[in-house]
Amino acid sequence: MLSYILRRVVATLPVMAIVALFVFSLLYIAPGDPAVVIAGDQASPEDVERIRQSLGLDRPFLIQFGSWVWRILHGDLGTSIFTNLPVSTMIGQRLGPTLSLMVITLLLTIVVAVPLGVVAAWKAGSLIDRAIMGFAVFGFSLPVFVVGYVLAYVFALELEWLPVQGYTPLTDGFWPWLQNLILPAIALGCVYIALVARITRAAMLEVLQQDYIRTAKAKGMGQSGILFIHALKNAAVPIVTVIGLGIALLIGGAVVTESVFAIPGLGRLTIDAILRRDYPVIQGIVLLFSFVYVLVNLMIDVIYTLVDPRIRY
Amino acid sequence: MSEVLLSIDGLHVTFSTRRGMVEAVRGVTLSVEKGEMLGLVGESGSGKSVTGFATTRLLDPAGRVTGGKILFRGQDVTKLRGDDLRHLQGAAMSMIFQNPRAALNPIRGIGLQIADAILTHKKISKDAARAEALDLLRAVQIRDPEARMNAYPHELSGGMCQRVMIAIAISCNPALLIADEPTTGLDVTTQKVVMDLLADIAAARGMATILITHDLGLAARYCRRIAVMERGRIVEEASPKTLFSMPQHAYTRRLVAASPTATSRIEDLVTEEEREGVVAVAGRPRTEVAHGTPPLLEVRKLAKRFDKGSAAVADFSMTMTGGESVGLVGESGSGKSTTSRMICRLIDPSEGDIVFDGQSIGHIASRDFHHSPLRKDIQMVFQDPNESLNPRYTAFDCIAHPLMRLGGMRPGDALRKRVDECAERVGLPLDLLPRFPHQLSGGQKARVGIARAIACRPRLLVLDEPTAALDVSVQAVVLQLLDRLRRENDIALLFVSHDLNVVRMLCDRTIVLRNGGIVEQGESRALFDNPKTDYTRKLVEAIPHIDTGPVLAAAL
Repeated sequence: MLSYILRRVVATLPVMAIVALFVFSLLYIAPGDPAVVIAGDQASPEDVERIRQSLGLDRPFLIQFGSWVWRILHGDLGTSIFTNLPVSTMIGQRLGPTLSLMVITLLLTIVVAVPLGVVAAWKAGSLIDRAIMGFAVFGFSLPVFVVGYVLAYVFALELEWLPVQGYTPLTDGFWPWLQNLILPAIALGCVYIALVARITRAAMLEVLQQDYIRTAKAKGMGQSGILFIHALKNAAVPIVTVIGLGIALLIGGAVVTESVFAIPGLGRLTIDAILRRDYPVIQGIVLLFSFVYVLVNLMIDVIYTLVDPRIRY
Repeated sequence: MSEVLLSIDGLHVTFSTRRGMVEAVRGVTLSVEKGEMLGLVGESGSGKSVTGFATTRLLDPAGRVTGGKILFRGQDVTKLRGDDLRHLQGAAMSMIFQNPRAALNPIRGIGLQIADAILTHKKISKDAARAEALDLLRAVQIRDPEARMNAYPHELSGGMCQRVMIAIAISCNPALLIADEPTTGLDVTTQKVVMDLLADIAAARGMATILITHDLGLAARYCRRIAVMERGRIVEEASPKTLFSMPQHAYTRRLVAASPTATSRIEDLVTEEEREGVVAVAGRPRTEVAHGTPPLLEVRKLAKRFDKGSAAVADFSMTMTGGESVGLVGESGSGKSTTSRMICRLIDPSEGDIVFDGQSIGHIASRDFHHSPLRKDIQMVFQDPNESLNPRYTAFDCIAHPLMRLGGMRPGDALRKRVDECAERVGLPLDLLPRFPHQLSGGQKARVGIARAIACRPRLLVLDEPTAALDVSVQAVVLQLLDRLRRENDIALLFVSHDLNVVRMLCDRTIVLRNGGIVEQGESRALFDNPKTDYTRKLVEAIPHIDTGPVLAAAL
C-alpha cells in the first residue's frame, strides 16, 4: 500500500513538470514582449529594459525556465511586481479563507448530495425522485453569482440571520468563522451538489440492479442495510471520482464567490493579479491550484483501492 | 404421510414492459412437500424463474402477481408486507441464484456476507455470527475456512462462490430453498460436487428444495418429481422415469428429444416439424480425404504463458484435416479457450508453431493477422451470442462486415445477395436481417454469429462453447446446422466445450485438456466409452444422464 502511494507520487512528477512548463510559458504565450506588457503603457524604453534585466527576460528561454524551477524547488515563487512582496507570502496570507471555503463546501456537498442521490435512486420514478432531480437541474443552471446575491439579499439583508460579507479567521472562534462561510458555501456548492447528487443517483440505480442486491433482499435485509451496506459502497467509485473532479469546479467558483462575498482569499488575489499583469503571482497561484488538483487525484486513486478490493495496486 | 409445505395455486405474474403487459406466468399450480426436492424444468422464457421469484417475493419491480395464491405453511406469501415479509425471506425460505459470483457483493468479505444473513434474523453478537459463518463455511466444505472468511468473491472460483451462496441460504435453516439454475455456468465436475453438496445438506436438514433448471438430466438425477413448464404453464408433472420414458405432452417430448444423452445422435435431437425452419440445401457427399494429403491445420508444441505464474497451455500439438471435427474438452482453467484463441490467432503463443494449409502462421502477431489472407480461412464463433454481437449492428451489417473487410466486397447487390445466401445457409429468415440483436431471440443470434463466421467461406471454424448460452431445443438446431456445414461445405470444426454429450455427437475426435496439457485424445465415442485416465472418467461420470434415477431417496 505504502509503495503504491509512493509510486503514485512519483508518477505525478512528470505531470507537475508539464504543468510547470505551461505555467512558466504563460508569460510568453501572452501576445507581445513580456517586459513591455509588464511595464505598462506609460513606461519609457529604459523602464522596459530594467524590467527585462531584473526578471532575466534577456536570457534564453530554457535557462530562464531552469532557474525558475530551481527557485521553486527551494520554495521561492518569486516576487510580486506590484507589491514587491514574495509571492509565497502573498499566497500564504490568502490561503486560509479559500481553504476554509472549499472544505466547508466539500463537506456540505457530501452531506447533502449523497443522501439526496441515494433517496432519489431508491425512490426512482417517484415524486421525491423527480423533485430532487428537478432541484439538481435548477442548481446546475444557476450561475454562482446569482445564487450568491440572492442568498445574501434574503438571509443577510432581509432576515439578518448571517453576515452579508467578509471573513473571520478560525482563530477568532468557530462560530464567527462558520457564520461567514455558510452563504458562500451554499452559493459555491449549488452546482457541485447538483452534479454529485445526479451521479450518486445514476451509480446507485446501476448498483441496485445487480444480482447481489437481490441476494441481500433474499437474506431478508432491511432497506437501509441494502442501501448503505451493500449498494452505496459499490457505487462509491464513480461518486468519489466526481467529487474529486469537482474540486476543479470549486477552484473556478471560488474566484467568483470570493468576489461576491468580499472574502480575502486566493480567488480575489487571482483577479487582482490578472488585472495588474502581476505574472509572478499568477504563475504561483496557477501552480498551486494545479498542485492541489494533482494531489486530489492522487487521493482519489488511493480511496479507490480502499473502497474496492478488486482494484490492484 | 407427508405434509404440504408450499402450495401454489393458479399463479399469474404479469410484467409491464415498453410493449405493454406481458404475462410471464399463467396459472401455475404446484405443491412441494416437506423435505422434498422438486425439479422445475423449462426453457428460457417458460416462467420457471419468475415462479421462483414470485414465491420468494423477489420479483423485479416491473413484475406483479396478478392472480392466484402462494401458500407457505398456510400463509399467503403474496399478501405479506414489511417485517412479516422480511421474517420470511432468508429465514423460512431462501434462494440461490444463477451466476454465483454476480450474486455476491464484490467488495464485501464472504464471511461478512454470511454473517449479514445471520444477523438479520438472529439477535446475537457479531462475534457469534462470525463463528456461525465459519461453521457454515465448513458445512459447505470450503477448504481452509478460517482464511477464506475474509476473501472476496473475485478471489474464489465459481464453484466456491456457489458454496458461499449455499452457506448464506442455509444460514437460518429455512424450510424451503429455491435454487434457480444453481450450476449453470459451472463445469460438469463442479456441478456434480455442488449439486451433491446441496442434496446432502437438504437431506440432512430436512429442507424442501425447488430446483429450477433447464437441464433435464440434472433434474432427473436429483429430483423425485419434475414439473415441466412452457410459456408460463405447467404442462406435465411426473417422476423422472415416467417423464423420460413416456412423455405425455408434445413440448416435453421435444425437450426430452433435444436433451443430448450418452447415446443420442445429432439427427435424433429435433423432431420433424422443427426442421422446417432450416432451408434444405442439396447435400453433397463428403469427399474422402486422399491418403497423404497434407493436414489443414498442424499445431506443434504450442505453449502460452501469461505474465505471471505457470503456463496456461504447454506442449500442445494436434493436427486436423479439412472437414474434420475435433472436440476440445476440459474443466475451466484447463486452457481450452486459450488454445482455441491461439489457433484462431486472436492471441499470440509463447512457444510453438501453428501451420495452416502448409503456411506457418504462429509467428504472425495476432494484431496483424487481420492483414493475412488466411484470416478469411480461420473464423470463430463465440460463446455467448447475446454478448458477442455489436448491439448497434443489424444482423445484415454483422454478416456483411467481414465480407467487406476481408472479402473486399462493396455495398451493393452482390453483397446483399451474399448476405442473403449466408442467412439462408444458417436458416435465418431473411426478414430478420434488418433487426438489431436485442430484437432477436437467442437462437437467432447464434445463427447470425455462425452466418458471420461462414460468410467468407472459411476452411476452419473455431467454436468456443457456441451453444452454452442456448436452450436445449435451440442447441439441437444449431448443432445440426454445424454438422451440416461441415459435411456439405467441408468446413473443419474445432469445437471447444465442456458439454461432453455434445462433443461426443458432433466431433470425430476429442482432445481432453487439463491444466494446459493434453491428458487423453482419440476417437470420440471410444474415448468416452472407455476413458483411459481417471480425469476423463471423472468428467464423463459427472454428466447428469437422463436415465439415472434420483440419488436423493434418503430425504423422504
